[in-house]
Amino acid sequence: MADNDPDRRKFLKVATCALGGGVGLVAAVPVVRFVLDPAGKTTVSTPSEPLDLGNVDRFRVGAPPRRVEVIAPLVKDGWTSARDVVLGAAWIRRIEPTKIEAFSAVCPHLGCAIGWEGKDFLCPCHDSRFSVTGEKTTGPSERGLDPLPVQIKDGRLQLTWVRYKTGSSSREPV
Amino acid sequence: MIKAFLRDRIPLDRAPSMLAGGASFAHVFGTVLVFLLGLQALTGVALAAFYSPSTTDAWASVAFIQDQVAWGWLIRGLHYHGGSALVIVAGLHLLQTAIAGAYKQPREVVWWLGVILLGLMIVWSITGYWLRWDQAGYWASQVEIGIAAGTPVAGGAIRAIALGGNEPGNLTLTRAYALHVVALPALVTLITVAHIWLARRHGTTPMRVANTAVRRWPAQTVRDVIAMAIVFVVLMSVVVVQHGTDLAAPADPMQAYDARPLWPVRWLFELRVLAGSFEQLAAMAAPAIVGGFLIALPLLDHGTERRPMRRKLWLGALAGLFALIGALTVASFARDANDSALAKRLAKAEVQANRARKLAAENGVPVTGALDVYKTPRFWKARTLFEARCANCHDATSKERKGPVIAPGHGDRRWLTKFLQAPNDDQFWGLTKLAKTEAAMKPVELPAADLADLVESLYAESGADSIDQAKRERGLKVFESACTDCHSIEEGVSGASGPALARLGSRDYYTSFISNPKSALHMGADKSEMPRFDRELSIVDRDALAEYLVWLRTATPQDLVNLGPL
Repeated sequence: MADNDPDRRKFLKVATCALGGGVGLVAAVPVVRFVLDPAGKTTVSTPSEPLDLGNVDRFRVGAPPRRVEVIAPLVKDGWTSARDVVLGAAWIRRIEPTKIEAFSAVCPHLGCAIGWEGKDFLCPCHDSRFSVTGEKTTGPSERGLDPLPVQIKDGRLQLTWVRYKTGSSSREPV
Repeated sequence: MIKAFLRDRIPLDRAPSMLAGGASFAHVFGTVLVFLLGLQALTGVALAAFYSPSTTDAWASVAFIQDQVAWGWLIRGLHYHGGSALVIVAGLHLLQTAIAGAYKQPREVVWWLGVILLGLMIVWSITGYWLRWDQAGYWASQVEIGIAAGTPVAGGAIRAIALGGNEPGNLTLTRAYALHVVALPALVTLITVAHIWLARRHGTTPMRVANTAVRRWPAQTVRDVIAMAIVFVVLMSVVVVQHGTDLAAPADPMQAYDARPLWPVRWLFELRVLAGSFEQLAAMAAPAIVGGFLIALPLLDHGTERRPMRRKLWLGALAGLFALIGALTVASFARDANDSALAKRLAKAEVQANRARKLAAENGVPVTGALDVYKTPRFWKARTLFEARCANCHDATSKERKGPVIAPGHGDRRWLTKFLQAPNDDQFWGLTKLAKTEAAMKPVELPAADLADLVESLYAESGADSIDQAKRERGLKVFESACTDCHSIEEGVSGASGPALARLGSRDYYTSFISNPKSALHMGADKSEMPRFDRELSIVDRDALAEYLVWLRTATPQDLVNLGPL
């Protein structure tokens, strides 16, 4: 019978694979592209302009570091938008009346939130410790705490929120 | 007749499943795993009927399941601990298979599929842990994605794909959800079917050399069911004892939390600590080495010898690996158990978790997000405003207090009586500049009965219930004779030199006073140090403060404590 003809069988095999594979490919490519869409996009908006941290006199000169919420006035996350969203925290230290230092509370190691333990900073996830001036003292973190730009404007403290890449010795924004 | 009809169409007994070497408890693990997978599917579908994968809703829906849905804690507990049981029984299944030498030719592929299934189950449980979006799940996800982002070359892409963008958000949860409830179950089911089908084709490897083969049903089946029952009883006991499982406070990007990974990868956490500066390498290499060894085992331990005593090298290596993983796991838990500072932080986190869950159950979680559950207690807004704008001058504990103390009982009959008797006392006007001037109010010196009448008439202005009208009438006469030189009590009419007292202590009065204490109706421009707030606070905020002050009048210090912390 013709169905046993080797050439014909070979052709049918190739045709089956080509047709099946083609259908599979045409179906798979858009699906993969679709699922990967958010990668490389800014799906959660982060404000680049300075954020208001309130009256600068909330912070006393020489007081221990004080944690402040970093609140974005507007954040878009995927299909939603929300007002006054807590992005994270910063540790503020007023060294002199006009000299203010701010550290991101995001641990430079793997991104946990840093706490103040009375005399130094501690990341509770992997026990990295940082001095009051932000240098790493012990633990796995490869760099000190990340300073955040602050400025005093009309008596109010303003902070620019930056998220840095974790797990490396160099300080690069994500 | 029906039986015959079905037998023709579903010919189960034409090729009964046979078991070489006879029935044995050594063969129960696979069936128990299928049972556990079924239980996960059942509880998982049930949970999916309630769970909502968004950053605003995830925690709220889990708290709802745990604390409000009938048997919610049980279903959630079975699903959580059932996941653990799967990993444990799969580990035992793997060991039993290795001891029996069942991975040997021609069953290598069955073994490999099993190893892949074990790996997938661990990934499965990790993605499930993220979904709660509580402090524990959120920070675990941050660390795990952080570790994956450390992968050379592809790290950035892995992070972006796992997060679904640049930052943790809704897309992180939706894709973890898609993985956990659709992709992984489908994949695990497919591989499980292939694993079982192949295993049945090859037949079980008998523990003893025996030529007998028995039917699986019912001699083996009864053993399977006994094992299933034992596992189920243990699982149920754990779930009941733990009342499901824990749920930490809602994910809070500003609040530090002692994140720990789920127990199946806890050994890696400990390994990172020991590896020091090689931690990234350890986190990447260790799972690869373990996985690679398990995959290679049938190739390393080749030949037909299946007696364990003759295969000491490879069985010893496998046992050593399991012992090492076990020891690291125990060491990690032991380290935490001996850390008293950690215990304190965890206790604090638990208090917060319980508070958040209680508020969620009582008040519901605002659509703006789970963190806003802390803002749902009564007077939260007013108390926050009071803390920020009023406490410095009016709170009893403030070192910089300048005005009268505002505390529970402020403005009630007792307070009014004391105030009238000594308006320049420390707790009233004493700390104001006004107190030291000629314009300061003079103490009211009246017989006790007249004073009580006067207090009643002033108290009535607040609109409070339970006013003794006769007393009030008498009090108004006392007011006429003793107070009108300075004060008025007629609506909208200013006093000669002191504040107008119409509607004193009512919500409208407070709103008006807070708006502009320097108004002629109140203190007057030159007598008040208190700033006006009508330009700084919205009318809604001023009114909220006023409402709070009215509540405070009849509140006790305990009532205030009962409102909870801010």
